[in-house]
Amino acid sequence: MSADQEKLITELVGKGLAGDMDPINAIEDRVLRSKAKAALAKAKRAAKTATTAAPTEEKPATETIAETPPSDNPNKKFGKMIEDTFQGSLDAELNDTHIQLKPDNWFEIAKWLKSEPSLYFDSLQCHTGMDVGENMLEARYNLHSMTHDHKIEIRIAVSRDKANIPSIEQIWRIGDWFERETYDMFGIFFDGHRDHRRMLLPEDWEGYPLRKDYEVQETYHGIAIPKVKVGWE
Amino acid sequence: MGVIHGEEMVLNIGPQHPSTHGVLRLKVKTDGEIISEITPVIGYLHRCFEKHCENMTYDQVIPYTDRCDYLAAMANNFGYVVAVEELMELKVPEKVEYIRVIMAELQRIASHLLALGVYGLDIGAFTPFLFMLRDRERILDMFEMTCGARLLYNYMWVGGVSHDLPKGFVETAFQFLDYFEPQIEEYNNLLTYNKIFIERTADIGVLPADVAISYGVSGPNLRASGVKWDLRKNDTYSIYDKFEFDVCIGDGGQGTLGDCWDRYYVRMLEVKESVKILRQALAQMPKDGDVHQALPKKIRPPKGSIYSRTETPRGDLGFYIESDGSPIPTRVKMRSPAFTALSVLGELAGGWMMSDVISILGSLDIVLGEIDR
Amino acid sequence: MGMLENRFQDNVVVAKLDKLIGWARSTSPWYFQFGLACCAIEMMAAAASRHDLERLGMMPRSSPRQADVMIVAGTVTMKMSLRVKKLYEQMADPKYVIAMGSCATSGGPYWQHGYHVLKGVDIVVPVDVYVPGCPPRPEALIEGLLKLQEKILDERPLTRKMA
Repeated sequence: MSADQEKLITELVGKGLAGDMDPINAIEDRVLRSKAKAALAKAKRAAKTATTAAPTEEKPATETIAETPPSDNPNKKFGKMIEDTFQGSLDAELNDTHIQLKPDNWFEIAKWLKSEPSLYFDSLQCHTGMDVGENMLEARYNLHSMTHDHKIEIRIAVSRDKANIPSIEQIWRIGDWFERETYDMFGIFFDGHRDHRRMLLPEDWEGYPLRKDYEVQETYHGIAIPKVKVGWE
Repeated sequence: MGVIHGEEMVLNIGPQHPSTHGVLRLKVKTDGEIISEITPVIGYLHRCFEKHCENMTYDQVIPYTDRCDYLAAMANNFGYVVAVEELMELKVPEKVEYIRVIMAELQRIASHLLALGVYGLDIGAFTPFLFMLRDRERILDMFEMTCGARLLYNYMWVGGVSHDLPKGFVETAFQFLDYFEPQIEEYNNLLTYNKIFIERTADIGVLPADVAISYGVSGPNLRASGVKWDLRKNDTYSIYDKFEFDVCIGDGGQGTLGDCWDRYYVRMLEVKESVKILRQALAQMPKDGDVHQALPKKIRPPKGSIYSRTETPRGDLGFYIESDGSPIPTRVKMRSPAFTALSVLGELAGGWMMSDVISILGSLDIVLGEIDR
Repeated sequence: MGMLENRFQDNVVVAKLDKLIGWARSTSPWYFQFGLACCAIEMMAAAASRHDLERLGMMPRSSPRQADVMIVAGTVTMKMSLRVKKLYEQMADPKYVIAMGSCATSGGPYWQHGYHVLKGVDIVVPVDVYVPGCPPRPEALIEGLLKLQEKILDERPLTRKMA
């Protein structure tokens, strides 16, 4: 595209953003007209994300000004309580969506979360494994309280070479099966689990399927596993 | 005369067995007829649902969610679609909400009918199975009228539904409800208050409420133990707050609170409540509206993650979805209610006899497609 | 008796033994209910009151020794494939296999990224009739069974097959 064409398109996009579509529609050359329309669509999308980004950028500014009132968001509130009770266990700053913990004293924290009367998280709703890239694996716990009806999400990140997290299956009994499944799919080891073996895949399967770099094995008991069914594409 | 202890025998039930609800293998340690330990082995139907989700776009995932819990496919679609819409903060038109609730409640009736019929079949009663399947066929006829499929629909899309209700659907539905309500009485006479059925199911497999919560049991299994927890009321999604219905809990009607008979009875009561909701929804539904109006051109949720739950006939179905802004999800985890229900079998079945194990397993109402995904 | 009615004079019956055996085997095959996944529900619906399978003579049997036809309904996974083979070997001759549904035919919707799914049950057992669909309607399954009956009628079990 030549320089004057680029300049012309920028001008037309400016007019189009202001609401004036006639100059673009009046272009004789079909290729140039379509290029202008594509550039206008891109500019509109960029403008929309800029406006949605702007309010969130303002929020931290107002938060630092008015930091003293305690946050109502459960993740922030309970994250602060965890930090007060068990120093040094947070792995990242408090935020709205989750609480990031270090794996070291997770078992004690979990026991406290279940037994503390104002929290009383008696049900582990969901346990997810994640491959977050950069050689890190994560285990995410969604906890919920039936009595107080509040919920939080806790994330624990470990590296692939030393993927060990304390097991909480004695606290929430469903953790038994959830952790076995996460071990099966991701290869995260849960220390202290009384029955640590694969759940869904056969015992002699190789590899952990839900990791992003998983390569399926060639054969299983003599049955060849084709990578893609030949001739079906 | 003392007790004679024989040697312990390890028996294998399944994975192919007419009385299991799919391919489930139970490793049972028995001492004569009494069971000392039971271990479920699953994974015979692991179809790599979560790996497929990481390679398909958001709307291509919907048929795969159908096939997880194949007895209540509409409910699975509903759960997934509610989660994605919450992530995208998308609002759907009112007619779509009504259609979704109608389909979900019809599916609840169909799924419970099958569960109760198959439970009777496991115990040995063949007639209620045939009667309940006959009524279920009428519901499947209604689904076929709307979207063309009998079992796996791909009906609820992100932002709408795939087909509008055809002409005559509301009349057919009312006719069905008028025919069906007296049938519930017939089922009660045949099976629910049948003396043999009560002997086989009352006081067996009692699940205390705190054990149930620790094991994550939900849905009718939890409500039968006396816990009043229904996601349609406690954590409302869609337009369930516009309808009046009760949350049915077990009360130990024929035995202890939380036994197999309670789990059966709660499902029967839920069918009645679904009929109530259906009557209200069919009457209140707006007549005109475009169901494809809010379908997004390209489904691209913003970066973030969400965990959202809905109430399916088996319990709370949770979807944990993580998105990185692209049209393909990074991770979709399906937390199925049958997974947690099966995990409690080991606790429930110790000390009972072999035929009681079949009774307990049937009352938990599991579907292996959902457990193994 | 439809085939043989009003065919012969007097009391001498002439028939090819092959055809007679084929006729006797094809009617009333008892099926081995091997329901694995969603197709199993359609198989159950085919056996229920609306699309009655029993009027065709087919009875569900749970033991492989008593069955003639194995209907593999649903997805076969790697973990299950060894059991499918074992159960097939336990069935008594003559035995036939119907692959019901797309998953049993060729892997179904899981053909691309299913690392644990067997792409078609014909990798482990020889299949006679394929019934496509996801899931196939009960009427489609009945058509598959009728096609199997036709196939059995045309079989010639007594003639030596040239290699």
